[in-house]
Amino acid sequence: MNKILLIARREFLTTVVNKGFIFGLFLMPALLGLAVLFGPRLLGAMRSPQVVGRIAVIDPTGQVLPVLRSTLSLSAIQERRQAEARRALATVPGGERVASSPATREFTPAPDLTIVERPPSADLESEKKALSSTDQSARALALVVVAADAVERPGNGSEFGTYSIYASRDLNDDTERAVYDSLREAIVTARLNASQLDQKRIDTMTRVRRPVSVTVTQAGEQRSRRQFMQMLPFVVGVMLFVAVIMGGQQLMTSTVEEKSSRVVEVLLAAVSPFQLMFGKLLGQTAVGLLGMAIYLGLGLLALYSFAMLGIIDPMLIVYFLVFFLITYLVFGALMMSIGAAVNTMQEAGSLMGPVMLMLLFPYMLSPMIGRAPNSPLSVAISFIPPINSFAMMTRMASESPPPAWQVWLTVLIGLATVYAAIWFAAKIFKVGLLMHGRPPNVATLVRWARQA
Amino acid sequence: MEPALRLDRLAKTFGSTRAVDELDLVVPRGATYGFIGPSGAGKTTCIRMIMSILFPDSGELSVLGRRSALEAKDRIGYLPEERGVYRRMRVGDFLTYIAQLKGVPESEALPRAKDLLARTGLVDIDKKKCEELSKGMLHRVEFVAAIINRPELIILDEPFSGLDPVSVKLLKDLVAAEQRRGATILFSTHIMAHAEELCGHVVMIHRGRKVLDEPMAGLRRQYDTRVIQVEPLDESSPMQSLGQIPGVAEVRPMADGCAVHLHPGTEPNAVMQRITATIPVARVGLSRLRLEDVFLRVVAADAGDREAEQALRADLQGLGTEGAVA
Repeated sequence: MNKILLIARREFLTTVVNKGFIFGLFLMPALLGLAVLFGPRLLGAMRSPQVVGRIAVIDPTGQVLPVLRSTLSLSAIQERRQAEARRALATVPGGERVASSPATREFTPAPDLTIVERPPSADLESEKKALSSTDQSARALALVVVAADAVERPGNGSEFGTYSIYASRDLNDDTERAVYDSLREAIVTARLNASQLDQKRIDTMTRVRRPVSVTVTQAGEQRSRRQFMQMLPFVVGVMLFVAVIMGGQQLMTSTVEEKSSRVVEVLLAAVSPFQLMFGKLLGQTAVGLLGMAIYLGLGLLALYSFAMLGIIDPMLIVYFLVFFLITYLVFGALMMSIGAAVNTMQEAGSLMGPVMLMLLFPYMLSPMIGRAPNSPLSVAISFIPPINSFAMMTRMASESPPPAWQVWLTVLIGLATVYAAIWFAAKIFKVGLLMHGRPPNVATLVRWARQA
Repeated sequence: MEPALRLDRLAKTFGSTRAVDELDLVVPRGATYGFIGPSGAGKTTCIRMIMSILFPDSGELSVLGRRSALEAKDRIGYLPEERGVYRRMRVGDFLTYIAQLKGVPESEALPRAKDLLARTGLVDIDKKKCEELSKGMLHRVEFVAAIINRPELIILDEPFSGLDPVSVKLLKDLVAAEQRRGATILFSTHIMAHAEELCGHVVMIHRGRKVLDEPMAGLRRQYDTRVIQVEPLDESSPMQSLGQIPGVAEVRPMADGCAVHLHPGTEPNAVMQRITATIPVARVGLSRLRLEDVFLRVVAADAGDREAEQALRADLQGLGTEGAVA
């Protein structure tokens, strides 16, 4: 036991003090931090200048133009945008705070538009020509022609008319959208006025405020957090994936190095192949846990700083760590077996294919599992090793978590898989470490495992 | 007392190759055994089975009274034929690590390593990285790693192969010191000269089978010298005429003269007098007992043709790829 710990300690220390590892571990959080610190300022520097221009309007109805003067004003456009942002953020937890923070201040200032009224009798062709005039100061940004039946219909059954818009090439998307929105509001108001309807009453009557759904469980009621929870398995999946690949790769490389530098038989003079394998696996797992602790800590810190800590169920973190360990040990043992079997990293490539596929497969399935967490397929996948841990994580983070017995069954199957993977790795270590020569294929590995 | 090592009908087959064939061996405590035979005879396979790195197909073994070396690894020092170091580790760290794996307390490991390094002529290198050392220095570090736990049983697999004469001398001194300390030593070599110098007992193996298991003293009596080396004063002397002397079986030309092989039972002294009377000689004398001759005589039955014998002799003298013989 002591020997295993000695090997684990060396594996841990040599990995952790490695420059590449430190760089990789802190690079991502550092980049994130930089983005948070300097991102808004950078974006601020990229703010486009305010558009100032004129919009020519031909309004045969005479009823749209007066309203348009107020709906197309700078303050009206700004107000509409802020309302829009509030609606978009309402579904995100903590969104109210984000919406009012200066970081989300609009990046494109609202356009300052002046209305140039053209008489209904004006010639459309010559007005259009004015838009392409070479004198930029003379031309308008756009020409709006309101249809004659836009406010009042000839008969009650027919549709209202609308408007046409002719744009000069100075009109950008953002300004165009502002013009559309303003016109829509102006025409609706004009129509309501014409029908002697009270705008405020209609607004009040047509608004049904959307509630935040409440999930009822045996444990009690809680506010739903659908959007966030759909993101969680994705984020967690990326963490798991990156950690397992990095750790597995490291285990494989160090094993191949020990083999090719011939230090392995010197080690075998002192320890058994199993002690060597298990010690390395434990050491690398400690590295993985260290990395995970740093990322989890940073993540929780970020949530805390947004006052959103409460939305994470602490048990979910515990389960995540359990599933992380299971996945890490299984794939670490498999990658290590490959390292013990081959002579060079190049030879490892062909054997790594199936392992990578096993790792990628549940990841690709995760959107499907997230949408239907209790479908027969999702349930079946959460019992198939070695991909079950990840599937179960996705299901647990979903709106309708699986029953506890399923979670425990997955954990049990996971532990059995860990045992099998370590058994396999031990066999491969016993046979493969002193084998040099032709690189083995998967069939050879299985034969080794059987004979050892 | 239990012998240090006991092998009982040990056998191992790789595919269609019988690497070790029903090998029996007993090594008493404190003895120095030479495990000799040409390359590919099965020495390394046998040693790996002793170390529980490979497992025999059949047969039993006991190491320091245990059923498996796994139970006694801390009491064994093993220098594998395929040996190396962690290239990026410092020498001191590497030796401390290996020592700890062999049960040496951490506080004792480094002083021991430094002491042993100094005895192999390596002073103040414990802070250096292994990759900075020359090949000869690395060999000495690996040797130190093998004996750092003051083992009761030391197994050295081709300890001197590929080494420069200075390193060989230093390591032989270290082996001798371990002998005096009371350690049991089993070392394999295909270069007979090393065995002649260090061993008290010789075990020869050929094609996986044990062909000889004798103390050196007994070998000297049994395989009494029957070769006289003659270096003529004048190279044009008719050396073939020496074949006429009674008792001479064969005259083989050599680089600086010839080797006169005698019939069994012939008195060498009388023949030497006849030789000096026949041609003028610069030097004449009995050749020393050489293990390669013993080996070749032992396996002569199945060696057969001359060419195979020549190849075998070249291998046993360490010619070809293995470099200098000290």
